[in-house]
Amino acid sequence: MTLTLDALHVRYGAVDAVRGLSLEVKPGEIVGLIGPNGAGKSSTLHAIMGAAPVAGGRITLDGRPLRGRRSEDVARAGVALVPEGRRIFAELTVEENLRLGLAARRKAGGAEEAFERAFTLFPVIRDFRRRQAGGLSGGQQQQLAIARALVAEPDVLLLDEPSLGLAPRIVDVVFDALAAIRASGLAVLLVEQRAQRTVALADRSHVLSNGELRLTLGPEDAGDTEKLVGAYFA
Amino acid sequence: MTVTWQTIADAVSLGGIYALMAVGIGLVFGVLRLVNFAYGQLIMAGAFALALASQWNWPLWAGILLCFAVVLALSEAMDQLVFRPLRGQTPAVMLVATFAVAFLLQSIALLWFGALGKIATSVSSLNTPWVIGGVDIRKISVVAVLVTLACLFALQLLLVRTSVGLHMRAAAMDFTTSRLLGVRANRVIGSAVLVSGFFAAVVAILLTVQFPLVTPSFALQDTIVVLAGVVLGGLNRPVPATLGGFTIGFASGFLGGALPTNQSQYLDSFLFAAVILVLLVRPNGLFTRHGGSAERL
Amino acid sequence: MRRVLPQAAAPVVLVLVAALLGEAASAATQVYFIEALVSVVIVVGLYVFIGNTGVLSFGHISFVALGAWTAGVLAVPVAEKPATMPNVAGFLRHTTIGNVPSLALAALAGAVFALVVGLPLMRLSGLAAGIATFAVLEITNNILQYYEKIGPGQNTFSAVPETTGLWQAAVGALLAIAVAFAYQRSRFGRMLRATREDPAAAAAAGISIYRQRLGAFVLSGLVAGFAGGLEVHLLPLSYRDVYLDLTFVTLAMLVIGGASSLWGAVVGALAISALDSFLASAENGVSIFSGSIDLPSGTRVIVEGVLMALVLIARPSGLTGGREFSLRWLRR
Repeated sequence: MTLTLDALHVRYGAVDAVRGLSLEVKPGEIVGLIGPNGAGKSSTLHAIMGAAPVAGGRITLDGRPLRGRRSEDVARAGVALVPEGRRIFAELTVEENLRLGLAARRKAGGAEEAFERAFTLFPVIRDFRRRQAGGLSGGQQQQLAIARALVAEPDVLLLDEPSLGLAPRIVDVVFDALAAIRASGLAVLLVEQRAQRTVALADRSHVLSNGELRLTLGPEDAGDTEKLVGAYFA
Repeated sequence: MTVTWQTIADAVSLGGIYALMAVGIGLVFGVLRLVNFAYGQLIMAGAFALALASQWNWPLWAGILLCFAVVLALSEAMDQLVFRPLRGQTPAVMLVATFAVAFLLQSIALLWFGALGKIATSVSSLNTPWVIGGVDIRKISVVAVLVTLACLFALQLLLVRTSVGLHMRAAAMDFTTSRLLGVRANRVIGSAVLVSGFFAAVVAILLTVQFPLVTPSFALQDTIVVLAGVVLGGLNRPVPATLGGFTIGFASGFLGGALPTNQSQYLDSFLFAAVILVLLVRPNGLFTRHGGSAERL
Repeated sequence: MRRVLPQAAAPVVLVLVAALLGEAASAATQVYFIEALVSVVIVVGLYVFIGNTGVLSFGHISFVALGAWTAGVLAVPVAEKPATMPNVAGFLRHTTIGNVPSLALAALAGAVFALVVGLPLMRLSGLAAGIATFAVLEITNNILQYYEKIGPGQNTFSAVPETTGLWQAAVGALLAIAVAFAYQRSRFGRMLRATREDPAAAAAAGISIYRQRLGAFVLSGLVAGFAGGLEVHLLPLSYRDVYLDLTFVTLAMLVIGGASSLWGAVVGALAISALDSFLASAENGVSIFSGSIDLPSGTRVIVEGVLMALVLIARPSGLTGGREFSLRWLRR
């Protein structure tokens, strides 16, 4: 399914967080959303999930409107969010965290297979299946958070700064997994701070600054430091 | 100080009943962050239903059914009319609102049944003693404990083995993220309210055996004491809250029965002084792992 | 000054109107007006804390209780004391004081008790504060009920000189309003209201929220204690009269009127008192126009409860919107 944002406007009280953002994410592609802090990247993802006040514009999934729907209904429509800071349930076990992810599943049955696919993608969490999720390391928790989103078998995957606070080796694991997820046909919208890696991985990357889309970069721009820096300060 | 087996049995059974009440209050707090001051009135409504049933000479099973029907209906009404519109308000505002609802319901009962109340004679046979090895223990004490254990066990199964239970636990920890994962807010809240109401009905039945006189202030003092126990145990988590309820019930029953009246008069003061102490020093409760910071509350 | 004068004058005018109406009323109904004016004192006391700090307190009626006990025990003539308070302690048994001293001591008792309670409790806010202050109410009620060395215990106060007349109550209400208004316009009141939501801003400005809250708490205890003194000199009082029911009614008055403004407190107290008295006479059978209404007893609380719940759900800032009186409202 294709996710489309059309002139999206997010406003918190008197503050405009996102101004007139338009983008599209099609199945089998990763679209990056990068930019400085406070640019409105997280707000965009929250708006899609119905968790931020939308003041204008449209959000559609294959043409069907998502705007104004409750968070749980957006999730049940096939959009999964991996929130910033992981937001896993520390007091529940890894297994229970994954079971929670099943809440948005649209197909009856097949849960065990979905679990298997997640474990194959992130072998480390299989070993910790019965452990309390709070005992996992940051990198393991991030993998759990992505797995939890995947077991719902969504069509669209949103990620909010998955590499935040992770060691470079784990970032590799996560980004490799994202490539595999893209290959399996999902539409992926990736919000990130690590501009270079994101631009290199994504099919295209939009630079957001002060709520507005400034520039769109392709993987070929990944090595062009000047262009990247310039985009951030545009 | 006189301690008999009956005293201990009474204390344990009161502890059990208070544990059930604590669960009822704790479940709703977990998902709604709302302390339902009017929980006692649900129990009162159930007790009046039993009283009416015995007045109309209904058979026991019909009375029990009526009790459940009334309590569940009232509980649902509270949720739709009061809890839902108040969602998102501060916990203090919600406390005041449920305080108002409690008074409201009490006054309706006063209007309807008068201050003298009614008698519920449903299961009075349980108020008679068994004689075990020369010791008298009232049947209701044993039954109350068994019923409590059964209910808690069933609840535990619900929370751990079913998706609804998992969703309720997750919602109590982090409602926003749960919803982002697809957990349906209304369904979770509705389930918590349902189970909470169910427990209130059970408590109504158990209490009317020992206290068949049902007045508009039935279970009011008990609710206040249970609230204290829940705060002491730990409002945020189901197990500590239940333990808190049990402990306070056991302590009240034990000291109330064992101490002579002139010494047990000030029990309430000690209890509430302890509540204040806990709120100052360990706001998350005595039985929780991180008694620490006041943020949760 | 243009804004301040109407703000201060409006509650005063309302109180005077109530007093004048009471003067014109029959002897039987006058007591309702006196009660209404004493309620103003209680609710203003409640407002001084809740309105300025934004923190909930369920415990203020314990200050009223303490004030009532102080004034009541000391004001009963020595000869009458054994009748209702046989076990009261030594010097209390042999002392009787006059009306004004008893009211002053009642206010002082309320303030001191508020200080003692507030020292530990002012660190709390939100739900914790609500529960903790509720605990204070419970403890106070428990002790006053059973500790017969300091008062009548479970007996009702009687033989307390009934000195709270219409104009004494009105003066009391005006004093309370003056105190509340002076406080909220003072440096302390303003500091508290400006920073209560934002500890960081407060710290940056060198303001200790704890100390400011404690100040508001003690002042509200003073007013509430004073109200207790007035109350005990008005009607026979027992421990049951200064417990949950009074807590509910006064809280309802404040919430319905508007918890963030003095105007709200006064309006709430008088409006609900008016409603209360009307419903009370209706409970006794009253003729309205050509028909008559005869409501069953207990209707009062139901109406108040419903109103309070409605306000909290639909208009949490109360009838007055939580704002002080403004002349703009008159010019339409």
